[in-house]
Amino acid sequence: MTAGHPPPLAPVVALAGVLADVAYTLAAGRLRRRGDGWPRWRDGAFGTGVALLLWGWCGPLPGGPFTEHSARHLLVGMAAPVLLVLARPLALTLRNLPPGGPRRALLSVAHSRTAGWLLLPPLAAALHIGGAWALYGTGLMSVTHHHPPLDLLVHLHMVAAGLLFGFAVCQLDPVRRRRSLPLRAGTLLLAGAAHAVLAKGLYAAGPPGTAFTAGDLHTGAQLMYYGGDAVELLLAAALAAQWYAATGRRYARGPARGGHGAGLRVQRPRA
Amino acid sequence: MDEQRAHARRATEPRRSLAVCAVIGAAVMAAIDEIVFHQILHWHHFYDRSSDGVALLSDGLLHTAELLALVAGFVLFADLRRRHALSPAHAWAGLFLGLGAFQLFDGIVDHKLLRLHQIRYGVDVTPYDWAWNLAGLALLLVGAGLSVRAIRRGPRTP
Repeated sequence: MTAGHPPPLAPVVALAGVLADVAYTLAAGRLRRRGDGWPRWRDGAFGTGVALLLWGWCGPLPGGPFTEHSARHLLVGMAAPVLLVLARPLALTLRNLPPGGPRRALLSVAHSRTAGWLLLPPLAAALHIGGAWALYGTGLMSVTHHHPPLDLLVHLHMVAAGLLFGFAVCQLDPVRRRRSLPLRAGTLLLAGAAHAVLAKGLYAAGPPGTAFTAGDLHTGAQLMYYGGDAVELLLAAALAAQWYAATGRRYARGPARGGHGAGLRVQRPRA
Repeated sequence: MDEQRAHARRATEPRRSLAVCAVIGAAVMAAIDEIVFHQILHWHHFYDRSSDGVALLSDGLLHTAELLALVAGFVLFADLRRRHALSPAHAWAGLFLGLGAFQLFDGIVDHKLLRLHQIRYGVDVTPYDWAWNLAGLALLLVGAGLSVRAIRRGPRTP
């Protein structure tokens, strides 16, 4: 049983992660020096995201083989991507690039029709959760044990789909189309439910073609379930903070359009 | 003075205060259930395999909805506070209604109709079911009493 081993190319991933974090820190510092507001917690979120990604990809993780795989899946495909997305890497890059070819190219990708479709929340969720269902619900997981390239592909898909899902649900970066909050929150609800069902299913029966012990499956499935909760809470908090800030701006513009604006204008004298 | 009071009366939102706090109450009760009965006492089982796929799906939806409701409830509460629109009497009533409604729903629908898990295993579960559902009913009645009182008093400023 080799499910516990780290995915291939650990040194390359580690190097890429460290370089990305250094680049992010330098770029954020540059913005602050020129007077742009770029909160420091975003640097922290990016750094933590990179650290979790590297830990999940390269590091030793405790527990039996399935528990270890669950922890990897949770770190690489869920926790790290959300933290990276919250740091708004695309906006940072665009603000740092001078006008010219590379900036135009990046913008045209971000605003392309394909990106618009991929960032449609239900589609991004389907790619993310669908990938997990394919991995655990079919014989794919048992096949990856003997095929390192496939194993690499599965882990790369985890990271990419996790990032896409985070981008689509949070929509913090400038992309082609803004999607409404109900659509994004509804997608989060359905994706969270699918994740919970998947984790409970794995508690009862492991992926086809694998032979994990019952104790290992139970620990791994519960880790997946409650770890998923933590990531959902983080995403929900991000959406809630967006809503709170956006309604606050609407109140500040005046009560005529907002409807609820009356209470914000002045502190009422107590009767 | 009267004009000020009339303004205040318009500005508080009793219904919204009640509804938002009911959402918080339900989500808090769900969290208590998860933490106390699943994690601390280990009475509830994570999954006891006596439910079918539909029950599992509804459980997943409900569980995620609880998480989202907790966050949404608190941010909506913060919004009421920010606008000075919170009516405390209605808020308390809503909180108890939410706590009781979730407890009863969990006891009847989750435990008995969907059979997701039982309160405790290896013992006669009947007294536990009664205690569970009567506790829910008691919370619901407290909420109903507070609602009646809040409605009689009318909306007040915090």
